[in-house]
Amino acid sequence: MNVFDAVILALRQVWAQKLKSFFTLLGVIVGVMFLISVIAVVEGMNRYVEEDFASSIFGINTITIERVYSRRGGREDARTRRQRSRNPWIKTPDAGLLQESVPNIWYMAYNVDRFMPEVRSGGNKRKNVRLIGVTDQYLALQGWDVIEGRGLTRIDDTRAIRVAVIGDAIAKKLYPDDSPLEQDIRLGPFRYRVVGVLERQGGLIGNIRDASVVIPWGAYQADFSRRRDVVDQIQIRFRTSEAMVAGQEATEEILRARHRLRPGEENDFSIETASEVLDAWNAVKNVLLAAGPGLVAVALVVGGIVIMNIMLMSVLERTREIGVRKALGARRIDITRQFLAESATLSSVGAGVGMLIGIVLAKLVDVATPLPASVPLWSIVVGVTLGMFVGLVFGVYPAVRASRLDPIVALRYE
Amino acid sequence: MMMPPDDAVILTQDLKKDYELGAETIHALRGIDMQINKNEFVAIMGPSGSGKSTLLNLIGCLDTPSSGKYWLGGHEVSQLDDNELARIRNRQVGFVFQTFNLLPRTTALHNVELPLIYAGMPARERHERAKAALDAVGLADRMTHHPSELSGGERQRVAMARALVNQPSLLLADEPTGNLDSVTSEEIMEILVQLHERGETILLVTHERHIAAYSNRLITLKDGMIETDERHMIGAPVL
Repeated sequence: MNVFDAVILALRQVWAQKLKSFFTLLGVIVGVMFLISVIAVVEGMNRYVEEDFASSIFGINTITIERVYSRRGGREDARTRRQRSRNPWIKTPDAGLLQESVPNIWYMAYNVDRFMPEVRSGGNKRKNVRLIGVTDQYLALQGWDVIEGRGLTRIDDTRAIRVAVIGDAIAKKLYPDDSPLEQDIRLGPFRYRVVGVLERQGGLIGNIRDASVVIPWGAYQADFSRRRDVVDQIQIRFRTSEAMVAGQEATEEILRARHRLRPGEENDFSIETASEVLDAWNAVKNVLLAAGPGLVAVALVVGGIVIMNIMLMSVLERTREIGVRKALGARRIDITRQFLAESATLSSVGAGVGMLIGIVLAKLVDVATPLPASVPLWSIVVGVTLGMFVGLVFGVYPAVRASRLDPIVALRYE
Repeated sequence: MMMPPDDAVILTQDLKKDYELGAETIHALRGIDMQINKNEFVAIMGPSGSGKSTLLNLIGCLDTPSSGKYWLGGHEVSQLDDNELARIRNRQVGFVFQTFNLLPRTTALHNVELPLIYAGMPARERHERAKAALDAVGLADRMTHHPSELSGGERQRVAMARALVNQPSLLLADEPTGNLDSVTSEEIMEILVQLHERGETILLVTHERHIAAYSNRLITLKDGMIETDERHMIGAPVL
């Protein structure tokens, strides 16, 4: 019996008893399916965090400076809350000082934002909008491309001109029929002129950009500011990560000195970098990747034991066949090989089915949820190899038992 | 050391087989001295428990003796290991069983091919040889049938084709007509007679006198020993 014959025979048996085969192979199917779909989601998230998220929100080699403040509904105790409420605001003079003192700045921008319940144009309105007042390099620093019209300039800023660059979702809602450019947009009581439309972002965090209205810092100060000169965020981009590390240290020193913090006292401001977001994601990913193999291993071992039992039954049912084969000249190794090929084929079928379901699941996750997922080729290779390996390992015992049968006893078996 | 004569297919010397059954030792064969030459057609008879099956297992190299010597085709095989015995069974012995023992899920052709597969013959040559063997027993038109689609007589003919396909030096038939009606039995025995005329060496185990009568030599066993050993004309009544 060569291996090819054994494979054909095994496939025929799987096909003849589809339901039984399904339950036999359930463990392997679930194991491989889980492996492929988890890796797909982790990989997808990974790529997303590294390529889109980190660079679009925080940018590469960019630091973000914020006041440490109490969030509404935050969990800190009363004392921390009091302390945080006394933290000094970060203001435009701070930004000016950083601009002069921090070495190797490539881009720098600061911004302030607020929530607008609605914005209008003519009879159309869009609810839940984020209004951002920014300095001129903000859009470039965020990597937000203007696909129609223009961005904001230094002149817009210093002269406090009432112009706006709007997100894709707002453009579509307010100006469904024609170009938004040079149209009016009503922000509260004020009339602004649309000069640009942002490229659509879509996806998980798309509404941050797509539902934003960006206006010059000066205009924001004049029309919307609640606390004069207060800055929500300062962002500084450097050309290299070495420059960023140096810049981060310089920024910390300057602000500590300005806030008169003594050595040992905690910062009353925060400096975040994209690498911190990446660190947080890496922690989550590591948990997933540590728990994943455990679950996959459990499923595969259970699947392997079921296959072993099915193979033992198959050996028992075919005792006579084994006797005949031995009488006709099959050696132990021939019988072992036959049953190993069979169990490996069986579990490979399970691995194949698990792979298909896993890929379909990953696609579903990709399409139906904001989570991105992509199936890397290596996970398919690993999954199918593992599945086949399970069949080989758990097939050894039944196969060896079959090969050791005494031909005389086996031939007499009823 | 004793050497077998050239024309001896089977030669045994004081062949013994004991079985341990709990504390008791059962002497299944108590010393068999037997020589069967090329182109003999031998029938072995005896009551149950006389050692027929044990002797057949030893001669067919399915088992090894407790003591004594056995030459098959001029080579001593009583001391061989598992793998060597498998090789001897594959090349030297063709088995025909009472219950046919065909593999149920495969075609007649594949069943006949099995010994050639274990002999390591390439597929194309294997097909040719197996087809020729089926043709020789008159089943050329049944090659793609499964055993369940064949009559009892046809199944036994497939089994005979399988036993002969490797051109063994000895054909062992263990009650080959035990599961067949008398007409079909006669057909099968006619084939054995033809094979004998063609030069095959045949050892037949049976408990029916009229089946034993097709042979030209009758050995009877009793209590693990040879009781009688007589040559006679083929078809002559055996008393």
